[in-house]
Amino acid sequence: MHKRTRRGTLFDHLILVGIALFVIIPIWGMLRISLDGSIKGAPTDFALLPVEFTLSVYEKVITKPAQSLSILGVARNSLIVSTGAATLSIVFGASMAYAFARFRFPGRQSGLFALLLGALLPPVALMTPLYIILSSIGIRTSLLGLIVVYTAFSMPFCVWNMRTAFQAVSKELEEAAFIDGATPFKAFWWVTLPIAVPSIAVAALVAFLAGYTEFAIGWLFIENSANVTLAMSVWGMMGRATWSELAALSILMSFPVVIIFIGLQKVLVDRLLLGTTNA
Amino acid sequence: VTTLKHILLVLAVVIATALALFLRFRAVEQLPIDYDEDDYLRAAQQYAVAMQNGEYGALTQLNYRPEHPPLAKIIYGLSIVSLPAVPEIPDLATNSSPASSLPQPHLNRARYTAVFLNGVAVLITAFINPIAGLLLAVHTYTIKYSSQVMLESLPMLTSALAVWFYWKSKFKINAWLVGSAVFLGLTASAKYIYALIGIAILVDWVLITRRKDKNGHWTFLKQATIWGVISLITFYLSNPYLWPAPIERLVESVTFHGGYAQSQAVQNANFPLWQPFTWLFSSVPWHPGVFLISVDLLIAIFSIVGLRSLYNKRSVYFWWLILGFFFLLIWPTKWPQYLLVVMVPVCLSAAYGVQESIKFFHLPKLIRPKRDQIHLTFKDLGIALPWLLPGLVTLGLIAIYPLLYQLAMAMTDFSVGAIRDGLSGGVWREFWLGITGQIEPTSVRLLSFNPSRSVNYAGPDLIFDVLFSFEGANLLVFEIIWSTLTVGIQTALGVFVALTLNRKGIRWRNFWLVLFILPWAIPEFIGALMWMQLFDPRFGWFVLAQSNFTQRVTLPFLINPLIPGWQDNPTQALVYLIFPAIWYGFPFMMLAANAGLKYIPQEVNEASELDGATGWQKFRHVTWPLLLPLIIPAMIIRLIFAFNQFYIFLTFQTPYPVSTFSTTSYFYFADAGAYAFSAAINIVTLIFLFGGIFAFTRWTKASQGVAYA
Repeated sequence: MHKRTRRGTLFDHLILVGIALFVIIPIWGMLRISLDGSIKGAPTDFALLPVEFTLSVYEKVITKPAQSLSILGVARNSLIVSTGAATLSIVFGASMAYAFARFRFPGRQSGLFALLLGALLPPVALMTPLYIILSSIGIRTSLLGLIVVYTAFSMPFCVWNMRTAFQAVSKELEEAAFIDGATPFKAFWWVTLPIAVPSIAVAALVAFLAGYTEFAIGWLFIENSANVTLAMSVWGMMGRATWSELAALSILMSFPVVIIFIGLQKVLVDRLLLGTTNA
Repeated sequence: VTTLKHILLVLAVVIATALALFLRFRAVEQLPIDYDEDDYLRAAQQYAVAMQNGEYGALTQLNYRPEHPPLAKIIYGLSIVSLPAVPEIPDLATNSSPASSLPQPHLNRARYTAVFLNGVAVLITAFINPIAGLLLAVHTYTIKYSSQVMLESLPMLTSALAVWFYWKSKFKINAWLVGSAVFLGLTASAKYIYALIGIAILVDWVLITRRKDKNGHWTFLKQATIWGVISLITFYLSNPYLWPAPIERLVESVTFHGGYAQSQAVQNANFPLWQPFTWLFSSVPWHPGVFLISVDLLIAIFSIVGLRSLYNKRSVYFWWLILGFFFLLIWPTKWPQYLLVVMVPVCLSAAYGVQESIKFFHLPKLIRPKRDQIHLTFKDLGIALPWLLPGLVTLGLIAIYPLLYQLAMAMTDFSVGAIRDGLSGGVWREFWLGITGQIEPTSVRLLSFNPSRSVNYAGPDLIFDVLFSFEGANLLVFEIIWSTLTVGIQTALGVFVALTLNRKGIRWRNFWLVLFILPWAIPEFIGALMWMQLFDPRFGWFVLAQSNFTQRVTLPFLINPLIPGWQDNPTQALVYLIFPAIWYGFPFMMLAANAGLKYIPQEVNEASELDGATGWQKFRHVTWPLLLPLIIPAMIIRLIFAFNQFYIFLTFQTPYPVSTFSTTSYFYFADAGAYAFSAAINIVTLIFLFGGIFAFTRWTKASQGVAYA
């Protein structure tokens, strides 16, 4: 077997450093702008490090990120909308996912195909009709309207992933419950569901994140500034606030997402591949 | 059987040629006078006058529009030599608008000559493959530019002959090969760009020689030299203008193009690098009603499907197609008639594509029911239904109904002016009245909308416009280039990083892994904002760095990192968009490849090392073939995401056509209030998504087989 030479290993590390630079430069660019108190409006000079190091920009965006709301206000809206969408997707989708996992019925294959289609549909493809439909029933500009929209985006994905989760639970456990006289619903509720909870939680998390990071459709639907979410307030700063403020709020907003992704990377890759890696 | 086959072949050839002639005769009569027709007819007049007066020596001094060689112009001159001379057509500037009138019947005589030459080209193509002939017969750009006094017909015919004869020669010196050389020479005297078939022939010839005989270089060199000399002699013989000053006049003629590419006419067009593909994917957008059939999009799609067959069956045509497009991409001038340079191999590839598709969707196989299928009844549905109901009702209300509503919207002219009518049920009303035939559809066109106070039924025209119109083709071609380019680079980088991380002796493996995941963990639009803060044309980090350093020190080779106004130049905008796309997408491919590498047994690697495989050989022949099926699901998912990419485009605000369907749909909806257009684009997105998921389900089944093996 070839022994890797010292020079070869050094070269590998140089490659990794090069790619790390590609990864870090844009992140550092934004971080630096957010920590620099010397920037008024847009930066006018080239700098690698903050010229006047300060955290005051973060203080400012925390107290007043959007027109009339505090950061708590926009974060609350984000939580309501994202949690609402994730909950609806799970609650209304769970039994359907179970049916796709356990039963054979006519139309099952086309149903699965339709679920995939829904899971990979770009949000804009549902935005157009939902805007008109929700307008005509008068809930478009409310948080409930946004919950409906984000549920429509996430629910097929959640159902698909819950189905994979249920399939992973062994059938024998359910059959044992049947022998003890359980109805199919009881077997589902007391046996399969508890085992699948961790996977369902991940599906819910993905649905939550989809709602948490969406803003373009939110801006189109919401008209009342009291209903602005965190992601929307970042976008709302474009062209209004200084570059530093925009950068600071972007970083604040991304922080929880980054933590979740790094913590759950292996599971998330499998989920985002729709359970096809068998990892 | 063979006689029947022959009869059918002859019949198909006759039909293709007859169809070609019919469509072109129609075009000759109906097409208006185009740019350049006055120039070439004027050149033809000069030759005709010289020949009428018996001054054949003048042929060596005449070559109006000397940037193009004279042969096609001489042929046009011959075609009108029997007609009485009329006052010479005035000499107008190259970029002036088309002449308002040209002398008749001279114009039509020349046009019919072009049609005749192109008819022969169709005949030859049909003889090689009848379907290819049919496709060439109905291709709209070919019809247009072979039914006007343009230079395309003659070189298209001679290049087709040169390549065909080369293939017939079986790579030996014989009459076929001499014929190939002669026609290559004639091609060069007709229009330079078509002579790239010479390069295609040489590439093919070298590769075939190498495959057949490792020591065949000398024979090849000898034969190719003879072939080259014959074509060069033919070129000079058929180019009388060069006789008095062979080198000078050739240089003068060829160097013209360099200046022309910088000219205002070319700059104003502001065509993106990939414009030739847009011509390929669209029908001629001008002259509605002239061409009758418009299947250009299908020809383009099938030509991609058939590429592999083309390479296996007739490799020289494959090289013609590849080199032709490569040349068209790098060539700065991108006029639509250049597409004809590659139309013969494109149609041949499309013909193979059609044949492949027929084989793939072999009808008897589809109709025959699958064996061992459990018979499912309504009783099964009865058991499952209570479980399905909550999900079905919810999805029905918030997803399925909206998608159906969207289909209805796409078949109206609904826009913001008619919002009151739309909100009170106007869409369904018009849709119902329209499909039951109670009202006539109004006419709508993409990109030119007519605000109306009420919703009106419009039929499926908008959806067809997105698919088949020139404006739609612009978007589709960008989508294809964008998705394949970004996912290709993401995959290459992701696999490369995963392999590097899995090498022996790498320190802090988890640190690197977490670091490289960061771009994927950051929400897409924040990532796009980060890159925008670097690329901003006025305050961006790069532009500031550049001005900062150029103030203090003069760097002689400093490349301009940000060209002002890059957002308005489609090609540059694509380059800047690729950075955030790669940055955001490669970690996912890295993780997928990393997971896939775990499935590859260590023994395989060790065995190949024992056999003395080098790093690249090991990757090419061991790792990659095992890894590919495992990462194909990830690639298809990334392709679908790239096709639907939205936030990067929203942040970078690049103009049409540097935009995805999603983004275009959003801007139509949010900024223009053109609701029906937005809906029509979304319907087309759905159609493509359908194809993508079909591929995904097929491939994931295949890849699971490998993973379990």
